[in-house]
Amino acid sequence: MSNYPKFAVVGHPNKGKSSIVASLALDNSIQIGNTPGTTQIKRGFPLTVDGEVVYELFDTPGFQRARRVFAWLEEHGDVSADKRIDIVRQFVFEHKESNKFKDEVELLEPILAGAGIIYVVDASKPYGAEYEVEMEILRWCGQPSMAILNLIGDEDYREDWTRALGQYFRLVRTYNPITAGHEEHLELLEGMAQLKEEWTKPIKKAIGVLDDLYDQKINNSVSTIVDYMVEVLSFIHKEKIKGEEVSDEESERAKRFYREKIVRYESEERVKIQTIWNHLNVQKHEGELDLDAVGLFSEESASIFGLSQKELVITGASAGAITGAGFDLMTAGHTLLLGSIIGGVVGGVGAMFGFDNLYEVKVLGQTIGKRELTVGPMQNLNFPYVLLGRSLYHASVIAKRSHAKRDDLNLENTSFTEKVMDASTRKELEKVHAKLRKGDELEKEELSAYQKIIRESFLKLLA
Amino acid sequence: MQKKNSQFTLKSYLDLAQLLKHYKGNHEENRVFALAQKSKGLKLVSLWMNKNLYRVVDELDSSKYLHYLTLLTSLFGFTVLLVGFFTGFTLLSYSGKEPVNVIYLLLVMVGLPLLSMGLTVLSMFSGNLGASFFNHFSPLYYLEKVINFLPFARKIDFSELPFSATLSKWIFLQRLQFFSFLFALGLFFSLVLTIVSKDIAFAWSSTLEIDPVAFQGVLATLATPWQSFFPSAVPSLELVEVSHYFRLGEKLDANMVQNADKLGAWWKFLAMATLTYAILLRLLLWFGIELGFKVQLKKEILVLEGVKKLLREFKTPFVSTQSKKLEQHLEIKEKPTLPASQTLADKYASLVAWNYTDKELLLLQDHNKIKVKSMDVLGGRNSFSQDKLIVDKLKGKVLFYVKAWEPPTMDFIDCLADVLEKDEVTKVEVCPLGTSTENYSSKESDIEVWLKKLEKLDCDKLEVIDV
Repeated sequence: MSNYPKFAVVGHPNKGKSSIVASLALDNSIQIGNTPGTTQIKRGFPLTVDGEVVYELFDTPGFQRARRVFAWLEEHGDVSADKRIDIVRQFVFEHKESNKFKDEVELLEPILAGAGIIYVVDASKPYGAEYEVEMEILRWCGQPSMAILNLIGDEDYREDWTRALGQYFRLVRTYNPITAGHEEHLELLEGMAQLKEEWTKPIKKAIGVLDDLYDQKINNSVSTIVDYMVEVLSFIHKEKIKGEEVSDEESERAKRFYREKIVRYESEERVKIQTIWNHLNVQKHEGELDLDAVGLFSEESASIFGLSQKELVITGASAGAITGAGFDLMTAGHTLLLGSIIGGVVGGVGAMFGFDNLYEVKVLGQTIGKRELTVGPMQNLNFPYVLLGRSLYHASVIAKRSHAKRDDLNLENTSFTEKVMDASTRKELEKVHAKLRKGDELEKEELSAYQKIIRESFLKLLA
Repeated sequence: MQKKNSQFTLKSYLDLAQLLKHYKGNHEENRVFALAQKSKGLKLVSLWMNKNLYRVVDELDSSKYLHYLTLLTSLFGFTVLLVGFFTGFTLLSYSGKEPVNVIYLLLVMVGLPLLSMGLTVLSMFSGNLGASFFNHFSPLYYLEKVINFLPFARKIDFSELPFSATLSKWIFLQRLQFFSFLFALGLFFSLVLTIVSKDIAFAWSSTLEIDPVAFQGVLATLATPWQSFFPSAVPSLELVEVSHYFRLGEKLDANMVQNADKLGAWWKFLAMATLTYAILLRLLLWFGIELGFKVQLKKEILVLEGVKKLLREFKTPFVSTQSKKLEQHLEIKEKPTLPASQTLADKYASLVAWNYTDKELLLLQDHNKIKVKSMDVLGGRNSFSQDKLIVDKLKGKVLFYVKAWEPPTMDFIDCLADVLEKDEVTKVEVCPLGTSTENYSSKESDIEVWLKKLEKLDCDKLEVIDV
């Protein structure tokens, strides 16, 4: 017999049991609906680490004929409290094949197999005495139990519920699966760990595992974003041309291919991020990255996902000044800081002119009579910030999204104005972006510094 | 020699790169694999590759490339061995009229290898640019360029291979050592063969005014490595003096002729010099190159696309939270077909409130002011016998108050079915109500839940009221 902790999430129909299981099991494929009886069978959701089960959650159907069950128990159960569980066992045994008590049998089975009880109620609706019979049945099972106050609606009747539930359950906690994040998830597990002494250690282990898993997902997301940025910013599309000069048609075709490839890179990155957070089947609404859309590079929209022209000038100037300062350092200051000044001016002016630049079309090399047309890398200075802004926003929304949510994801939110990057951060980023624009390879240290900045920005968005 | 499954070779590196293009596994599979092994790091990657290489259905790049490399190496190797052999023969050609100049031999057998080793060392420690510069000194570099135009070399798309410029440098240096070694071996064999089959008189001659004592000093320094265990292979001052040769017309020096038996003694020194500087030192450098190549190969493997992910998945515990049991998916109707009526009648024969308390019912009545003859609560804390008594007395038009936010359970449906079965009951109107704070008005979504459930009863006597 397996001795890891098990928990059966039980309750009245439509009180969010499946939502809670979806949220705790990080599984957005569980069917959730407001039709009673959506969950028809019990399903176990084990948390396994390398195949070893740490604990298991059971999603169960809601009580349908609680009064009849309790009437049966009372009729057969004129016994002392320690024998009541045997009466419940007898009920399940006798009604296993009965269609009438199918739901009750499904929900009682894991409890009789030793699962702790997690009783879910909707505390945004008034307390009703009809719940007492369900709580009585659960009390007869004699298993460690806790109640979860789920706030589905806008009202709050938690006080009434807590008074009533406190008489039946060892712990009463509030947990909203739709809004709960990683911290709330772990807090709930802390509560579950208190239900039984033997469960404390495995649940603490589960908390550690989930915490590590969360960190792992953050790291994987950051790596994905960094890889994507490097790939897109250094992307060069090459194709052979027939004549001596590039024709308009060839140029347009190459540019179109370049644009399509960039858009494809973005959608691939989105899939990777959603896979990391197990949100692959989420329907999302996001405006496609349109490289030619003036709006994307306008001062106004740039401030949403990218940088404004003013910010770009400052960023460009600072990055230029840093390069100049390097020259000053090399000459031990004999250039009287001229390097920094010239670098700053050049960088700033470059940023001003670079604001409206898109990508360059070049005709390169002549190898055995063949000419090559290249498009890219993208020269627009704001482009990396637009990409990064969109990517970080998407990743943060996905990371924060509860697995209990079933609505579509709206990424066309223009209220994303959090400034997660200050001027010095942008300066650091700009050094990398400038290198990628030039088609230079990044040093290992530069890449890890870039990764660190992205990680910090991502964490700020998650906070 | 490489131990199987333990170290990466050029072949396994190419195989891994090709495999990773097709297959990377998933976290669960990779972690399970790692847990079943005792190895770690790149050794584990190597084992993983061996296990999964069957997944590459195309011809292995390594087979094509290594075939090309082996062919080139064999071709060059054989050529270089012959060149070395014939160079030795040419240098040692002795007609009996003129002695063989030791200085020529030393230049080819010691000077040339030392120069090429020096360039190799510079290539090893310089960056790619430097290496590429020094490589231009090697005739092999140009030979390879020519060979690249041959048809079999065109079968390989070198741009598809994952080598970096640095790794290519090490591969080139490796082969360079092999070819140089074969050249030196050719020289050595030709020397041994000539010594055995011919009587050669060695001498030394130079336009420069070299003092025999100084020359002997240089030779003794060169002979330092074998001086202790093979002293007869160190040319003595006497030998150096008697073998000093001046090309004056066609005649040999009388002193040389007198000591003709001693002139052949040079062969020991020449053989040891070739063995030490051209062969042993080359082997030593070759060993160093092999080490450098392995270090570089390890670096390249780590940056190969997919390897970092693989290593991370090997190391990171696989966490799963999914259910192994399939969900029984419930087809949910979008909208109910049964319409809800909007108004309550003025008068009902009976009013029953499901899961309400008596007190709550009074409040409801106070709010709705419905004219009814009888008014009771059903469900809730009632026993079934209490419910039965109430249901038994119901007749005529019955109004059912239910909590809109609580979906209809089978307990309610059972009770409702009992009421509907009664012939005395002519009509049942179910009225889902909101909470008191909502002024008892229900939400559309809640009404839909009730409609969808109750329409399954398919009873004409039943109606849902949405107030």
